[in-house]
Amino acid sequence: MSQLQKQFGEIYDKYIEKIYRFVFLKVNSQEIAEDLTSEVFTRGWESFKKNKCDIKNLQAFLYQIARNLVVDHYRQKGQAQLVSTDALPLIDSSMGLEEKSMLKSDVNNVKAALANLNDDYREIIIWYYLDELSAPEIAKILGKSEEAVRVQIHRAINALRGVIK
Amino acid sequence: MTEKDLIKQLKELKAIKPGKDWVLLTKRQILPEEEIVGYSVSNIFHWKMAFAPVISLVVVIGLFGFASNTVPGDFLFPVKQVTETMEIGLSLTGEKSEVHLRLANKRLEELNGIAEANKVRSLSPTIKAFQDNITGALDGLSQMNSATLKGLVAETQKLEANKQKVESVLGVQIGGETEKLEKQLAGYLIADLENRTLDEQGQQLLAEAKESFEAGAYTLALEKLWFLSNK
Repeated sequence: MSQLQKQFGEIYDKYIEKIYRFVFLKVNSQEIAEDLTSEVFTRGWESFKKNKCDIKNLQAFLYQIARNLVVDHYRQKGQAQLVSTDALPLIDSSMGLEEKSMLKSDVNNVKAALANLNDDYREIIIWYYLDELSAPEIAKILGKSEEAVRVQIHRAINALRGVIK
Repeated sequence: MTEKDLIKQLKELKAIKPGKDWVLLTKRQILPEEEIVGYSVSNIFHWKMAFAPVISLVVVIGLFGFASNTVPGDFLFPVKQVTETMEIGLSLTGEKSEVHLRLANKRLEELNGIAEANKVRSLSPTIKAFQDNITGALDGLSQMNSATLKGLVAETQKLEANKQKVESVLGVQIGGETEKLEKQLAGYLIADLENRTLDEQGQQLLAEAKESFEAGAYTLALEKLWFLSNK
């Protein structure tokens, strides 16, 4: 059992920030993002314990759980997936005030633009540009072909540019 | 804005991170044993290392305790054998025969118990062990001294009584060179007593013992000699 926990602990360490950021950018609430992210890994751990050998792509698996939880969250809330431009992202407390200020401004701009994209484009942008997943990796998450994903990436970034303009 | 600038700004969203405390706390909640495993296993390991000699000693003492009631053929009898072998090994040269005889008597007592419990498979190894003890006693006789003679005679007396009892219960002859043992012992005792100053009664008894010895009645000779030795 300890070996399994150790393995999942390493998985947790590797993906916690990515999953958290992914969820946060979709729900734009620290508290909700923490709750949902915690649930992602709790469910991930349960599945890992039972079916470790059956999980071929753990990253894709965790992202899928995250997507489903966000959908369920909004279904329960009866809310659209809106991102408030007033919300502040979490910033590393070790940053200087000026850095924090600049970052806040840029981040808010992009965040606001992301909020106006449809969910599919927003997800692809987060995965490709923030989490730096490759097209094949995104394809596995979405269950689509690599070619379809590359087309989607291109369309998503163009859509974001259109919003920022 | 160029695509390049947009991507650059997008990447700044990487600054969105969870709080470190929350990350740790959540990990502990999801994997509560991980820290314990990481921390306590090493501690438990150290504790185990510290207590290993004590635990081993307790196990060994326990083993010997359990083994003390075993008989030849039982699983733990080899443990008991180790104790007995050590007892022989640690005894003085002149005392080895007496130790062997004491163990031989033990085997006879065990044979009684085996007969009562009907532990048929233990019969043969116990009889063999008895015979080995008698051989061991015989081998050590030449090195015995007058101090151990009394003890030897006492054990031999017991031996004969026990042997007869066991043979009547089992209905078989146990064998072993007990007669040879008695003959040698009787011979030593006669030689020893002839060098002593005996009163009239003692001399009479010695003469009777010699007669029994000459007639091959070594058990009877030993009885008289044992009585003389203890006067």
